Amino acid sequence: MVDEILIIDNDPSHAKALGVYLERKRMEVHMASTTEDVMVLFDNISAKVVLADPGLPDMEMVYLLKQIKTAQPKLQIIVMATPGQFDHAMAELKNDAVHYLMKPVKSTALDMALYQARSWIALNNKLEANEKKLKVFRHTQSLFQQLFDEVPCYISVQDRQFRLTATNKMFKKDFGDEIGSHCFSVYKHRESPCQECPVADTFEDGRPHTTEEVVTSKSGKQYNVITWTAPIRNGDGEITQVMEMSTNITQIRQLQDHLTSLGLMIGSMSHGVKGMLTALDGGIYQLETGLAKNDQERTNRAFDQVRQMTGRIRKMVLEILYYAKSRELRYRSIDINEMAAKVVGDAMAIASKNGVHLEANISSSMGFIDVDPTWMQAALVNFMENAIDACTYDRSKKDHTVKFDAFEMSPDRICFIIQDNGMGMDQETKEKMFTLFFTSKGSQGTGLGLFIANRVIRQHGGNIKVESEPRKGSRFQICLPKSKPDQSKMVDIPLKVLEIENNETDNKK
Amino acid sequence: MKKILIVDDDPNIIDYLTTLFEDNGYSTFSAHDVKEGLAVAREEIPDLITLDLEMPEEWGPRFYRKMSQEKSLKNIPVIVISGLSGGDHAIGKAVAYLSKPFDREKLLEIVKETLQ
Repeated sequence: MVDEILIIDNDPSHAKALGVYLERKRMEVHMASTTEDVMVLFDNISAKVVLADPGLPDMEMVYLLKQIKTAQPKLQIIVMATPGQFDHAMAELKNDAVHYLMKPVKSTALDMALYQARSWIALNNKLEANEKKLKVFRHTQSLFQQLFDEVPCYISVQDRQFRLTATNKMFKKDFGDEIGSHCFSVYKHRESPCQECPVADTFEDGRPHTTEEVVTSKSGKQYNVITWTAPIRNGDGEITQVMEMSTNITQIRQLQDHLTSLGLMIGSMSHGVKGMLTALDGGIYQLETGLAKNDQERTNRAFDQVRQMTGRIRKMVLEILYYAKSRELRYRSIDINEMAAKVVGDAMAIASKNGVHLEANISSSMGFIDVDPTWMQAALVNFMENAIDACTYDRSKKDHTVKFDAFEMSPDRICFIIQDNGMGMDQETKEKMFTLFFTSKGSQGTGLGLFIANRVIRQHGGNIKVESEPRKGSRFQICLPKSKPDQSKMVDIPLKVLEIENNETDNKK
Repeated sequence: MKKILIVDDDPNIIDYLTTLFEDNGYSTFSAHDVKEGLAVAREEIPDLITLDLEMPEEWGPRFYRKMSQEKSLKNIPVIVISGLSGGDHAIGKAVAYLSKPFDREKLLEIVKETLQ
């Protein structure tokens, strides 16, 4: 690289002598004698050193030099001045110049001044490079800190005594800002180290270890976590600390529980299906033999049974489909009286078979309602069936009646009341009846019927009021808006909320 | 006429078995649960019992244990008819285990052999 230098001197012969000297030192020399020259030249050259006579007492050149130095702090200015102006020049330019030379300039002094200027430049470059590195480093550091903090895991760094030396944000949120405490006391509220400890294992063999743990947060909540460890080594490769990263898998475990209960449901359902198929077999057998023997009574009974079993299987399949598939409803405008009559018709078959009286009281011409007829009818029949079952299971009385009322509550709202004098419900059954998989019917129930019926009613914007007393009977009041509810106001009720909501409605009563 | 006691909580299945057995020349009694089953068994002393395993309140194996403790009942052969899979070991001394839905002819054959 060729050094460029700018000589500013209003004494042309002196400037020329300096120029010749410096060119011999393999420098590229530019000359200027006025401020105008300097300004024009400065934009076109890349001199790092300026050798200038400020031309005092005129201050113009002094100002220009100060300006240039401010704009390019890396530029090194060597000032030369006559003995008479030397002090003045120093007083004006002060630290803006790297060196001051007495005019006429001696070569050794000039060499020294140039050497100094170059060292400054080298030093400045080094500093600049370091600053850049530092900036990258700081950026990386803040990035790592951010990562450390924002990783959706609990991260802690521990020493050999299992004391926490650093924890991330999520850790602090759930387990507190406990630097210096023991891992086992913070995570497990223990007083001594755990029997099996992945951190201890990593200190021992320097390898990562993983375990699954149940930890307790500062608020007392239990979390299932999967824990990984990794050694942190010092410059000599010794393990000084261990990092422990724990992922909260509580939700996965909960989901597993949910799947287990689904598995249980399928188990109990398959049992129910087997029972129905057997009963269907029975119906077919009686139908065959009834026809063969020309036994009208048996044939009729068999026909009823086959129809009832087909209905039950159909219902169970619908329930499974409802549970397994999306719950989008297909609304249609339906004559309320027709729907009510159909529900009563379906229920009548079951009621008469079980020796239960069915009284229907349907108001005339209630108009039309927007519903998904398949699901609404299934839901209403489900309530009817439950009422009939409640009578069948009740052995304390002989005469059982299920009453079905349908009427207009207001011009835009209809209500159904289903009342029985069956076995009634205790508090527990009442609270849990709409819960998924809850059944009081042993192997005969799937625990899906009322759960789905309740959802269907709610999805249609309706509500259900329940009154019940053990051994006396139950009364369900179901009210529905006639027109399709505003979708934007509809909320898909998550499974878990259902139970709570029902309790609330119970309390409000 | 040989007497068969049917213990099952499903009235439809009781209905089915009753017709089936009566059509084939047996007389039948039925019970919906363990308690009722024991009461009927003590009174009628049947020649054979068909037993469901899963019933509300008490299950089939409980019925079997209780009847085994009674001198007059303990030698009555029992055929298990149940929807439970893998239930064939629930009652070790049962003469047969039939899974619901069962084969009608096979049941009649077993009954016939057992009652000979």
